[in-house]
Amino acid sequence: MWRSSAKGESVPIYNDMDLDAIEERAGPRAFSPADELPREYREAATRMIEFHANSEIMGAYLERPFIRQAPSIDRKLAFSAKTQDEIGHAQLLYRAAETLGVKSREEMLDDLANGDGKFLNCFHYPLESWVEVPMISFFVDGAAMRRQATLRRTSWEPYAHAMDKVCFEEGFHVKHGEDILTELMTGSRKERRLTQAAFEEWWPRIIQFFGPTDDDSTHHDFAAAVGLKQQSNDELRDAFLDQYIPKARKHGLEIPDEPRIRERDDGTYAVEEDDLDWDEFFTIAKNEYEPGVGQIDERKRAREAVGWVRDALEDDAVAADGTAPQAAD
Amino acid sequence: MSFEDPDDLEEREREALETLLKRLGDDEFVLAERYTEWQVRAPTLESDLALANVAQDELGHARLWYDVLGDLDFEERDLVYERDPGDFRHSTLVELPFPEGDWADAVLRSYLYDSAEELRFDALVDSSHPKIADRVEKIRQEETYHLEHARNWLERLAAGEDGRQRLQDALDRLFPHALTLFEPADEETEAAVVDLGLRDATLEELGEAWLSTVVPSLESLDLEVPVETRTDEEDALVVTAATLPEERGRDGTHTDAWVDLHDELTHTYRELEREAPTKLMGDRE
Amino acid sequence: MIWEVFRQEKAGGYHAHCGNVHAPDREMARQFAAIQHGRRKPTNSLWVVPREEIGEIGADEVAFGGTTDKIYRWATAYNTTAGDASEVVESEDEQATAERRRGDDR
Repeated sequence: MWRSSAKGESVPIYNDMDLDAIEERAGPRAFSPADELPREYREAATRMIEFHANSEIMGAYLERPFIRQAPSIDRKLAFSAKTQDEIGHAQLLYRAAETLGVKSREEMLDDLANGDGKFLNCFHYPLESWVEVPMISFFVDGAAMRRQATLRRTSWEPYAHAMDKVCFEEGFHVKHGEDILTELMTGSRKERRLTQAAFEEWWPRIIQFFGPTDDDSTHHDFAAAVGLKQQSNDELRDAFLDQYIPKARKHGLEIPDEPRIRERDDGTYAVEEDDLDWDEFFTIAKNEYEPGVGQIDERKRAREAVGWVRDALEDDAVAADGTAPQAAD
Repeated sequence: MSFEDPDDLEEREREALETLLKRLGDDEFVLAERYTEWQVRAPTLESDLALANVAQDELGHARLWYDVLGDLDFEERDLVYERDPGDFRHSTLVELPFPEGDWADAVLRSYLYDSAEELRFDALVDSSHPKIADRVEKIRQEETYHLEHARNWLERLAAGEDGRQRLQDALDRLFPHALTLFEPADEETEAAVVDLGLRDATLEELGEAWLSTVVPSLESLDLEVPVETRTDEEDALVVTAATLPEERGRDGTHTDAWVDLHDELTHTYRELEREAPTKLMGDRE
Repeated sequence: MIWEVFRQEKAGGYHAHCGNVHAPDREMARQFAAIQHGRRKPTNSLWVVPREEIGEIGADEVAFGGTTDKIYRWATAYNTTAGDASEVVESEDEQATAERRRGDDR
């Protein structure tokens, strides 16, 4: 996942003593704000949680037009609730990241707005039609849940606590996504055809959700050594494929020929990494992929448009604190 | 007269009931639709969550009112997805788009609407229609939160010069449209609504009560209400120089923004050539 | 001055409210809390918070989660194919439990 910031960034030099101690203690939920942690740990954890939080925001941003375009009141309600949950997840995650003392929430949100904040590859692509919705709401959310479930055992306690609530809520998202897919794949021929086409377009991106193979993942070793990450990219991707390839087929979706998927003797699956477009992936990871840039900028404009409200709240807070003259009522 | 059995209604009763329910349901539906525009665009994460919740509440209320219309053989398809936008009966207050970043509009609109909603529900709680009375009870608790939420924001924004000015601009724009909340669909049917005990206050009475609440309250925040009012013989505030907008919503006239909005929200339904909107929830009330 | 005390039993757990202490300032409150609330039950950490700094909102003021039907928020509302991923099943189970405890599963 962390390949995104690999280019042009050197691996931090850490103090061996500190790191040894950290690695020794690095079990699930082992570290809390009460611990004095080396800068390397705090920075790596911040990068990881900030990426996660940013992804919640950008995923919600991508899906929000479908609150309006949902084809029924019940779907609209579910979609609004799901988007709301995701903003709630971002709230939890930015706070978990803030507790590391590296960056404030405002700094992270500003970085996301100005194109420095990184987020999931899938949310850089445009989402234009209802038939594409389950690609995110079922497959990407399913992939995210797979990953998040393992993060309940991350070594940063506030992150693990955030994951408890996120995992609790997320089950509804995936099931709603699957419900939409079921409806489309049992619908008219047109719906089935369009959904299959959307699946073919999204499938490689969905597989890339888990990032490059561990051998190419710059940040993996450190994050795994200090217990931030509990499973490798490869383990997560394989587990996802084992679960979701049969699911896709059950819904009548055909798995595209490319990328090639190998079925192992034990019935599990592996993907041919070289069949995936890694140039595009790394362009995305640098926030340089065109549709993604547009989405970042649009969100930035929306964020700036309500900057005056945040300023007003801040003035109010100062006034309430008694450090400024009482505001008129 | 009883509304217990929907199959047993006379034409006048049916019409009054239909008119009342469409006013209720359409207001909530369209307002919710507009509120969802703030999702992932509100000033802070916390305020985003709160307004999203209000939107879901309102949409849920629309669903409850539309569900009673089911007794008159209206389905969701007839009420939303295959309905002529000119048949909707919501007030134009709820259909106007939000200018980008204009949180003051959202706050003020919510305040104006929820203040009216509180009075409207007071007049429905003893409705001769048992389903209406029953649902109002349930909905009212959520509306109380909405009104408090709006008031809290209103006070905070009005405390600063920039916020107060933005509220004033929103008030100038929204207030005439808010007055359409109390406009009749047609006089005769509205009279029947009260005669039949569906609602125990006339639109005029509701409008006066509303003015008597919101005008002093807005003025106490140093906001200037953009209509002239006077106090009548019963001490109620009434509008003297009413400047109602050309489109009044209740009679089926709407701004272009509504037609565009309806077009957007029915897009998928039409694109996929659906014949019925998907139901997830049965009627559990 | 009253200080509310929250205890975390072991590393990684949640701090849950366990009582309070009277103390003139934060330093004394921490010391008193360590004895009063940490001496018997397993304790990894205590939070000590001035009572007046705690805001509260109760079920009599707000209907948490609303008073109208919000079944769409729950995984249990959706019938999908069998064979859900284990983490989805786990989430649904947690939601079913929460729904029962909220009294929302009628």
